[in-house]
Amino acid sequence: MSAPLLQLHQVTVRFGGLTAVNAVDLAVGPGELVGLIGPNGAGKTTVFNVITGVYPPTDGTAAFAGHDLAGRAIHQIAALGIARTFQNIRLFGNLSVFDNVRVACNLHRGTGPFRSLLRSAAHRTDEAAIAGRVEELLALFNLARFRDVAASGLPYGDQRRLEIVRALATRPRLLLLDEPAAGMNAAEKAELIRLIQQVQRQFELSILLVEHSMQVVMGVCQRIAVLDYGVKIAEGPPAAIQSDPKVIEAYLGEDHAQSLSHH
Amino acid sequence: MIEFLQQLANGLAQGGIYALIALGYTMIYGVLRFINFAHGDVFMLGAFAGFYVGPPVLKLFGLGPSYMGMALVLLCAMALCAVAGIVIERLCYRPLRDRPRIIVLITAIGVSLLLESGGQLVFGADPKSFPDLITDRAIEIPASWGRLSELTLTLSQLLVLGVTLLLVILLDLIVNRTRIGLAMRALSLNPAAAQLAGVNLDQVIMFTFGLGSALAGAAGILTSIQQPSIGPLMGIAAGLKAFVAAVLGGIGNLPGAVLGGVLIGLTEALVVGYLSPTYRDSIVFGVLILILIFRPTGLLGRAQREKV
Amino acid sequence: MRPARSNLVFLAVLGVLAAAAPFGERVGPYYYDILVGIGINMILAVSLNLINGYTGQFSLGHAGFMAVGAYTSAWLTLRAGTPSGPAGTAVFAGALLAGALGAGLVGLAVGAPSLRLRGDYLAIVTLGFNEIITGVIQNAEPLGAQRGLGGMGKYTGLFATFAAAAFAVLVIHNLVRSTYGRGFLATHDDEIAAESVGLSTTHYKITAFAVGAAFAGLAGGLYAHFKQFIHPEAFGFARSMDIVVMVILGGMGSMAGVCLAAVLLTVLPEALRWFSHLEALPGWLQRIAENRMILYSFLLIVLMIARPQGLLNFRPRRAKT
Repeated sequence: MSAPLLQLHQVTVRFGGLTAVNAVDLAVGPGELVGLIGPNGAGKTTVFNVITGVYPPTDGTAAFAGHDLAGRAIHQIAALGIARTFQNIRLFGNLSVFDNVRVACNLHRGTGPFRSLLRSAAHRTDEAAIAGRVEELLALFNLARFRDVAASGLPYGDQRRLEIVRALATRPRLLLLDEPAAGMNAAEKAELIRLIQQVQRQFELSILLVEHSMQVVMGVCQRIAVLDYGVKIAEGPPAAIQSDPKVIEAYLGEDHAQSLSHH
Repeated sequence: MIEFLQQLANGLAQGGIYALIALGYTMIYGVLRFINFAHGDVFMLGAFAGFYVGPPVLKLFGLGPSYMGMALVLLCAMALCAVAGIVIERLCYRPLRDRPRIIVLITAIGVSLLLESGGQLVFGADPKSFPDLITDRAIEIPASWGRLSELTLTLSQLLVLGVTLLLVILLDLIVNRTRIGLAMRALSLNPAAAQLAGVNLDQVIMFTFGLGSALAGAAGILTSIQQPSIGPLMGIAAGLKAFVAAVLGGIGNLPGAVLGGVLIGLTEALVVGYLSPTYRDSIVFGVLILILIFRPTGLLGRAQREKV
Repeated sequence: MRPARSNLVFLAVLGVLAAAAPFGERVGPYYYDILVGIGINMILAVSLNLINGYTGQFSLGHAGFMAVGAYTSAWLTLRAGTPSGPAGTAVFAGALLAGALGAGLVGLAVGAPSLRLRGDYLAIVTLGFNEIITGVIQNAEPLGAQRGLGGMGKYTGLFATFAAAAFAVLVIHNLVRSTYGRGFLATHDDEIAAESVGLSTTHYKITAFAVGAAFAGLAGGLYAHFKQFIHPEAFGFARSMDIVVMVILGGMGSMAGVCLAAVLLTVLPEALRWFSHLEALPGWLQRIAENRMILYSFLLIVLMIARPQGLLNFRPRRAKT
């Protein structure tokens, strides 16, 4: 693996007396598809929040493409090339599907805000280019027919897909997906697997995926890291993780313990 | 030095008033997570309740200006204000229980304006003279207390302090020693869990509004004893400053409200005494802005995180 | 590439105004006053809409920005000796610009602390700033303190007012419609999501305040040079609430609704005044009609409970394209 794109070194996050993430090392290389799994409350979303700048790490370092992530604002980290989706979908409900994606194009806008006031020729050319890109993305992900519908009016599966499309509009190099399969049935999950693989190929990016569904994780990830109570207890290719006794023990008592052997 | 102590004494009495109003703000915020913009106007209603209801009640019981009379009028005003608060909650805020906070805030502003302009219409915009509930006089401080005897203290000031203290103690007992108080505290910490544990949301909210409004009404009476000129707009300034006091102490925190009220009262007195009366209101707002920038949880409050 | 359509419409409107304005005097001073009032209120409402409606920041102190613009521009034209003719127009234009800029700067100062504050707190803080601004003016001798400031030239006419209003509508409309401007709406909708797609919500909130305040300052300058006398009390909470009611009535985030509301609420007090003088009405009804605050407050409460999206917002609540 060439130099890692994302490098977490001994990252620890403490909330008062609770240690949510404990000395976790995690690396994602260019073009890699890595999964982050673990029982509920293991600290997976917290790791995401550290990477995207929602919380600073209490200890340890997080770096992306050589840039230290600590102390940067969320939008600055997004500008570096990290995009994410959320566990509880966070679309701009009152904006149309088109605008949800369009607003994410601001990072790579050609003209500044002043030109927007005057609606100069340069501005309008830029806007046309942006509109073109948005239409392309929507068509690619089968959302074009919802173009002018308010995002909150979309069916659930389409909302999840829209969130991914919106993230892609920021031209990320690393895409963080936070439980994208939540609430989906088996058929939808198969579709999601295909979608993630398509995205990774077509947009040439790295993906870090937090997921509970073993069907999706095993179907998509090249490498999996397992967290339990904030500690990384295992890491390796899907087959190794599936049969790792520590992992099975962590999931013992939940349905996933069985699904590990089924899927 | 004596000048300073005099200002302190004046400020303390005023601080008690602000504390009583601030307690209402903070209780309602704690239970409903919203700032009842109209709370200051309930204070005004208290004063007018005393104005209209006071003389007939005193006459009924054959009382002149006396401690007994004052206590009676105080209780009446508190009761009337409690009812007013409950009615307002029922009619204007309960239908909006699940709506975005901004909608409720705008409604509260509407209620506040309604009370003020309605007051102007019904009571008349001219200031009224509050009836004497007690015969005020200066308190003689014995010469043996040295320089302290030069302080000017009035009976009304002492009464305000005494009644405020009494009410705060009563409130503390209610909140910490009764079941309904427990319900209030549970609700302010975790509404969902409290309801699951059997707390009746509507009842507790009603009770909170009633209690907070009663305290505001008491403040209205106490203020009028000290400053007998009352008007329909008197709730605006007092309400806003009491709100600043609640925020200063930490919104949602009862001891904080009392602390905040006293601090604002003292600050005001010092500004008026040493700077200039015209800066009084601006400085209080300045305090608000400073707190919200540097310590938004207030002196005694706790921070709350948003779950991502 | 030919110019943008909205710009062309704007120029056309200017043309119509230039042609119609000289006839404005014909309607008589009373109706002329109302017309100018409509224009000024439109600017105020549209600018507050940017802050409250589009960006979702709850500003209750808009009149404070108006005051900054009014007093800055008035002081400047008075210092310049209130010239007439072309020199006067130039001075007036310069003063208006200065007033708008000054108000914009104050808007920055108010917007900055507001960054970390939620709805209720933000509202109170903006109210506080409003009070502080009028408080400062009341203590400032060069500005007339509590006596007020008067003697300004009557530079404001129908053309100036409505050209400015059209300009405000154009600028804010173009701004919000652009890809950049969608950021205001995104900030309103979900701040964390907005940040995660690279938008600085700090930037948008402060910009909304600055631009909104600047236009309010412009309105203030027009106001000062129409009334020819300004007083700190004219820019207090009552005035701020007037503007807030316009924005709420029109539907926060609806440009057309807000303009319509501005017209309605400028005309309403006059209509009420006329109404209250009708001999046939009982006294209590007359007094209610005289007191527009009672009606406003009642309106607010009913509106919030029954139709929070505003009376005049005909677009369906959802899709904003």
